Amino acid sequence: MGNALFIVWRESAEALLVVGILFAWLRKRPDAAVGMRYLWGGVAAGVGLALALALVMLGIMSSLSGNGLEWFQLAMMLVASGLIVQMVFWMRRHGRTFKRDLETDMARNAATANWWGLLVVVALAVGRETAETVVFLYGLGADKGGITDLPVVLILGIGAALATFWALQEGSRILSWRVFFRMSEILLLLLAGALLVSAIEKLIGLDVVPALVDPVWNTSALLDDSGRIGGLIASFTGYRARPALSPLLALAVYWALVSIFLLRSSARHAPSAIAKPHGGQPLPRAERN
Amino acid sequence: MTPTIPLKRSLVFAAAALLASGALAQEAAIYKLTARNGVFEPSTIEVPAGKRFRIEIVNEGKSAIEFESRDLRQEKVIPPGGKASVTINALKAGEYKFFDEFHEKTGQGKVIAK
Repeated sequence: MGNALFIVWRESAEALLVVGILFAWLRKRPDAAVGMRYLWGGVAAGVGLALALALVMLGIMSSLSGNGLEWFQLAMMLVASGLIVQMVFWMRRHGRTFKRDLETDMARNAATANWWGLLVVVALAVGRETAETVVFLYGLGADKGGITDLPVVLILGIGAALATFWALQEGSRILSWRVFFRMSEILLLLLAGALLVSAIEKLIGLDVVPALVDPVWNTSALLDDSGRIGGLIASFTGYRARPALSPLLALAVYWALVSIFLLRSSARHAPSAIAKPHGGQPLPRAERN
Repeated sequence: MTPTIPLKRSLVFAAAALLASGALAQEAAIYKLTARNGVFEPSTIEVPAGKRFRIEIVNEGKSAIEFESRDLRQEKVIPPGGKASVTINALKAGEYKFFDEFHEKTGQGKVIAK
């Protein structure tokens, strides 16, 4: 039971992280009502995607058989990874001076242009891993011994998910908005990097990319990525105990590029104590509501 | 710290790999693996090192399994009564762990490449 619960929670953690952070962020925007529609639209689309994927995995819907599903999952990983990074920078640009920015039509259009991006990010975050939860729960339901557990696992699982979501929202209240936003950025960028590593590994599996050196090192004595904690860290940071060279290179290039963009964007909208001569808007403070 | 390789060079690697992949596509030996109620049978698969092979996994148990291996870079959800096959590229001699993510305590196994 505890095991089943942990699996449900772990498989939904990615979705919770993305939805929870975006929810906390949107709440602070003056156009929250519009954004929330896209957020929940994304959740609904994600649930649809999860069910469709689960049907494919269960072999009920076989349009994506064999390698087709692999390629589709690969595409989802790459798109999710790219869009999460883009979302972080979009939030950076529009996170600082929302209210005044949005009063000009152009800024509103710029913001609107990304609502669909937000919807897709959410749909992928919800749909990708949740499909596995659906298959897992289906198995639990199909098993005669497990069927009695199913409603309990579902209720506890949803409870754990809500608690995590609530913790994120509380976090955004207790921590200063700036700290919360920084931490969110780091978590999302780590997740995007982890998705990139998984995607490159899938490409190695599909024989598209060579592993180059495999493995480069072995740290399984230090932190085993097959264990519970190591596994969780692996899926959220891209950590590997025995990494191949090509995903390692991809991750290095990823972090180098992200760091350059982060430094540039910080230099441009550096939130500083010094009042800027033009357009220096103070950071929105965490409003306690 | 890992040295940063320019994106261009990794693209060249990828292109070279695409060309090479056609030449490498040869028949792969098939190994059968049965999952039954959270246990793998056999729990050890011996394969020759340096050769591509496939593992055909049949889930004869009553619950879903997730065949996962970070060492082998595989992740596959298989419903009860389902079947799946994974292709694994040439391995260096050594041990490679795999496990059933939905039955982590009991569902453990390894591939030994010799």
